[in-house]
This record gives sequence, C-alpha cells and structure tokens, in this order.
Amino acid sequence: MKSKLLLALLSITLTGTAAAQLKPEDAIKFRQSGYTFMAWNMGRIKANVEGQFNKEEVIKSANAIQAIANSGMGALYLPGTDKGTGWEKTRVKPAFFTDKEGVAKVAMAFNKEANEMAKVAATGDAAAIKEQFGKLGAACKACHDDFKIKQ
Amino acid sequence: MNGKRILLWDLPTRLFHWLLALAVIGAMVSGQLGGNLMVWHGRLGIFIVGLLAFRLVWGLVGSTYARFIQFFPSPARVGAYLRGEWRGEGHNPLGAFAVFAFFGLLTAQAVSGVFSNDDIAFTGPLFSLVDKAASNRLTGLHHLLSNVLIALVCLHVAAIVYYGRVKKQSLLKPMVTGWKDGASGESARGGGIVALVIALSVSFALAYGASGNWMPPPPPPPAVSETPDW
Repeated sequence: MKSKLLLALLSITLTGTAAAQLKPEDAIKFRQSGYTFMAWNMGRIKANVEGQFNKEEVIKSANAIQAIANSGMGALYLPGTDKGTGWEKTRVKPAFFTDKEGVAKVAMAFNKEANEMAKVAATGDAAAIKEQFGKLGAACKACHDDFKIKQ
Repeated sequence: MNGKRILLWDLPTRLFHWLLALAVIGAMVSGQLGGNLMVWHGRLGIFIVGLLAFRLVWGLVGSTYARFIQFFPSPARVGAYLRGEWRGEGHNPLGAFAVFAFFGLLTAQAVSGVFSNDDIAFTGPLFSLVDKAASNRLTGLHHLLSNVLIALVCLHVAAIVYYGRVKKQSLLKPMVTGWKDGASGESARGGGIVALVIALSVSFALAYGASGNWMPPPPPPPAVSETPDW
C-alpha cells in the first residue's frame, strides 16, 4: 500500500517535471526566438558587408549564429509541436516531423555553414565574409523552401 | 502566303519583350538559388517594374500592333476567334489573354516583391512601409504566383513551338526582326519619339518609386564608442 502510494506520487512528480520542463508553447517560442535572433545577426553581417565594414561586429554576429546553430535546437521540435502558437503561430510544415532524413540533411548543412561563417569572420577578410554570408543564407533558404509554410 | 511584308512589332516593343524575357528568367533563377543572388533578384525586380511601366504606356501611345485597344480580347473578337473567323495581325484574342495574364501576374509579383522578406537577410525595397505580418503574407503570395508564372512561361513557349511546327507560322521571326511576311494588314504606324520619351519617363519614375531610394536613408549606426561593450 505504502509502496504503491510512493510509486503513484513518484510517477506524478516525474510526469509533472517532464511537462514543466518544456511546454509545447514554450518550445515553439524558443524556436522562434532562436531564428529571430539569428535574423538580427544575419542583418548585421549584411550591413557590414554592404556598408561600412566593422570586423568586430561581424565576429559578434557570426559567433551568435554559430552558437545558436550548435545549441541543439532539434530538441525543441517535440511531438505535438507541429501545430501551435509560440510568439506567433508556428510555420513549421508537417513534413518536418516525418522526413527525418531530409531535416537532418538541411540542418547539418546549415550547421556546417554557420561554423564556417564564424571561422571566416575571425579572419576579417571582407570578400570571403561576403561569400560565406551568401552560402549561409542559401543554407537557411534550403530549409525554408522545404519545411517552412509560406503564408 | 500571298500577302505582303509588314512591320509588325516596333523596335521598343521588341526590346521590351526580350529584356523582359531575360529579366524574368534572371529573377526566377536568382530567386530559386537565393544567397547573395538575392541582391540581383531585387535589382531585376526593380528593372521589371520599369519594363512593365514602359509597356503600359506603350500600350496606349505605341505603334499600331503594340496598342492594347488593337488586341483587347473583347467578346466580339473572342467569339469570332472561337468560330474561326478572326482575321488580323498581331496578338490574336487568345494571345491577348496571355499578354494580359503576363501583365497581371508580373505586376502582382512586383507589388508583392517590393514589400517581401525572406526571414533571412533579404527585404524588398519598400519592406519598411508595411508590418511584418503583411510582408509575410505578400511573400507567400510571391512564392505561390512564381509557380503560376513558370507555368505561363512554359505555355507561352509551347504555343510558339506549336505555331512553328504545326501551323508552320514563325512567331519568333517577327519578334526578332519586327517584320512579318505574308501579312494581310498594314505596317505598324505611330509610336514616335514623343511617345517614347513619355513612356521612358513613366518607366523611370515607377522604377525609382519601387527602388525605395526616395525614402530618407536609415540613421547611420552608432559610432563604436557609443556601442556598449556588452
């Protein structure tokens, strides 16, 4: 009787914690925040490539993108978060949750370009930064094309 | 082929056509590839705005067969065409529908494009005039219509091939040289230098409007000393 009660308590606590760890709404919010924050930094690199070049700015931006890219955002795509609202309604396509291979491919390619972006930024070579910025943008686009709903 | 040789498409119309073809192909390719080519996608878009504006005016003040009123697909003309009784030079009623479809589609692409964003680093030149949600909707429309545009381009090319192979009538040659052999009508007239100047003026004005260069430049970024260290 006592052990049963303990087990029941334990299971309530455990499932309770698991749910408290990440609500679907929060998972979607964190996703959207990550992408939005990267967009700010993409814009910063773009401004530096097109206008007055500031090496430090580019390094900060590229490092931020690299950090988010390598943060394991895949963990935020929990079952049941294919629909829902974070800061806004999620724009992920259902295919994202079924085409694991396709997602892995575009995600790995993006991480590779993000890492490369940080590496190139550190050199301060404006021409190389511009070229890598283009590749990184194309890597973003590859996923948007396949897995982001066009409103 | 017992007709005569007439001037069908004036030089501005032909230049418009081929520049538009190149610009649309360039815009499709750059838009699909993305990355740094988005800069060119934006430039080509503004160029296309200029071309469309030019054609719009040229359709009013250009030479005979370039005028909208000459080929507007009125019910009477469409009826005659369906009965196989339509006789004329230039765009037939079916071709006229294609012209206006291209015009409408490309205009929609231009309008949606200048307000668009790609959630990466590209924003259309007039993006700052609308809110993000509206821009997202217009971007979605831009994507959707790009597929319709590709389909229409394919149909357009297929029709030209059909006319050449099956009906033994080259539509390509008059669009290149301007001249058509074995025609039943008269050579195109009108569309002089004054008309050209008016059309070009409107063209440049609209392209300038679409470029957003008339908007005050954004404030310069704060000097490094003003940027906090964190």
